[in-house]
Amino acid sequence: MTFKFDKFLIRPLVCILVLTSVPSAQAGEAEFSADEIARIASHGPWPMPAKTDTGNRVSGNPAAIRLGYHLFFEPRLAANRRIACATCHQPGRGFQDGLATARGLRPGKRNTPGLFNVGQHRWFGWDGGHDNLWSASLRPILDPAEMGGDARRTVRLLRSQTELDCHYRQAFGKAPDARDEELLVNVAKAIAAWQETLVSPSTHFDALREALLRGDDDAVASHAPALRRGLRLFLGRGQCATCHAGPLFSNGEFGDIGVPFFVKPEGVDPGRQGGIKRLLANPYNLLGRHNDDATGDNATATRHLKPEHRNFGEFKVPSLRNLKYTAPYMHNGSLATLRDVVRHYSEIDEDRLHSDGERILKPLRLSEAESTDLIAFLESLSAREALLAPVVPPAVAACDVPLR
Amino acid sequence: MKPDPASPPRTPGKRRALIPGLLFALVLLAANAAEPKLPIFDAHIHYSHDAWDSTPPKAAIAILRKAGLKRAMVSSSSDDGTQKLRAEAPDLVVPALRPYRKRGEISTWVRDESVIGHVEERLKKYRYAAIGEFHVYGADADLPVMRRMTQLARQYKLWLHLHGDSDAIERVMKQDPEARILWAHSGFDRPEAVRAMLRKYPRLHADLAFRNDHASGGKTDPAWREAFLEFPDRFLVGTDTFTPERWHYIVEHADWSRGWLADLPRDVAEKIGWRNGETLFASMMTAKQ
Repeated sequence: MTFKFDKFLIRPLVCILVLTSVPSAQAGEAEFSADEIARIASHGPWPMPAKTDTGNRVSGNPAAIRLGYHLFFEPRLAANRRIACATCHQPGRGFQDGLATARGLRPGKRNTPGLFNVGQHRWFGWDGGHDNLWSASLRPILDPAEMGGDARRTVRLLRSQTELDCHYRQAFGKAPDARDEELLVNVAKAIAAWQETLVSPSTHFDALREALLRGDDDAVASHAPALRRGLRLFLGRGQCATCHAGPLFSNGEFGDIGVPFFVKPEGVDPGRQGGIKRLLANPYNLLGRHNDDATGDNATATRHLKPEHRNFGEFKVPSLRNLKYTAPYMHNGSLATLRDVVRHYSEIDEDRLHSDGERILKPLRLSEAESTDLIAFLESLSAREALLAPVVPPAVAACDVPLR
Repeated sequence: MKPDPASPPRTPGKRRALIPGLLFALVLLAANAAEPKLPIFDAHIHYSHDAWDSTPPKAAIAILRKAGLKRAMVSSSSDDGTQKLRAEAPDLVVPALRPYRKRGEISTWVRDESVIGHVEERLKKYRYAAIGEFHVYGADADLPVMRRMTQLARQYKLWLHLHGDSDAIERVMKQDPEARILWAHSGFDRPEAVRAMLRKYPRLHADLAFRNDHASGGKTDPAWREAFLEFPDRFLVGTDTFTPERWHYIVEHADWSRGWLADLPRDVAEKIGWRNGETLFASMMTAKQ
């Protein structure tokens, strides 16, 4: 509801602001047009209104959030008792690991995606192989190549600590039991409930956006000219905002941007094409019985999924928030720096793109100075300060007992 | 094998009861054996220079055979890729001459008159079924390079594998009303528009590469079904391996094609799946040899 309010009321509001502030809105070299300001407005406000996952009955549940927090950092879920979710999703790195491709029990083939603002996503994973956060959280726990966990190990862990056992009971109304086929899904739902609380801090860009919307020329001018020029490139010639849209700077969908997708030894990573097949075959998708939304309304997008030839080699359009902390980039971590990413778009190989595919992608042919400006803007989408450890969610009163 | 003494002896009645089951199993086996995979003529394969290392010719041919292709019409940037595959499997590869000397000439070739000499030279040296696949839209089809391609196709009795809009098709047909054109991707046009073009130009044929709108979940779209039934002799299937990675999609694409073709009458499915390709293109190579 709040989103609709923003969408339909902010634009007229922006027009009014622009009409009253254009003569004085010339902030140095980077004066923004009314159209540009309207488009900048669409990348906020930040933070976004919190969403509840209707498919997860413990979404927002304090006991589940506390349990999920502990389990996220718990290496004893893994077969070797040394790998936790947080091993790859490190809080100080935007819940990424700084590696090109993830390393669980065995080396992975894809770059670890960051988890900030993950509660706002529709599809999960570079291939969108999951349509809900709990299913996406369950996969690495069970995957023999990642954590290799199982129900018995999980129950042993839950029962070994009074606090975990108590929070499980509080969240799900029953004791953890390895024979309960819901056990692992419940654990994943608790971890998802915690991840939903991960909201990245506001950024230089958010401050600039707010200054523009309130017509505060001095505040606009206080932002680096390179950042403002980069923003105009992002919106204009770069057409980046077509896919990197909205407050998350992602439309949440998938694209082929000409990054090679060979992997050894299998051959290729089919990306979205394989992801759709995996998703539709997954018993934990929103069409399955573990979806807690009795209306099934949250499964509409899944219900209409159809694999297409173009999906072969498409990967998720990532959010650009916190980019500074989440190098390397692309689905396979093949680009080490933001300069490499900008160069990729500047020199993109059109022949790798189907002429009737991503028509929007053309080599940007940016000068060195323009590349630097665009990078300055991209860096402004990260938190202004170093990322802090996440706030520990409080224990629920009934379970407020010291950890053993 | 000796009978198990612990088992009760089989009575003639019991033996008789087994016979229908055995017969049924035999019928099933026979039915499976009589129903081999539909052969596929894949009319839209590229083997460009960046695929040669990742998928060397032997591996590429192995993929085509694994996909159950009867034939593949191959064009490459450069044409050397096509020749490599042709040398590896002359029974499988139907060569088409792409006018691009390397990747990256998609949007420049039609204004680059040096392309003409290149194409003329290759035509003298090798046998082909078509010139293409090349990209040309609208008025560009009347530029000198494209006009020369039309003339060369006529001179060598070749097809033009044209990726472009209906305007480009119309212009080429004006240049040579006898031109035979394989319209790549059916122009990404609507089925009604494709049918109108096929009615207007009896020598126009169309491939269905890189499009999904004609079939989903093993069922043909009703509007496309009408097109296939009206023109069963004019459509072909194709994968379009426009990046080297897409060689790993050929097998799946062939199976996907078999899936939706099975929704059509058998004779129509066979024509679109492979017979049209055999009649139109493969026969040319045989005749020349």
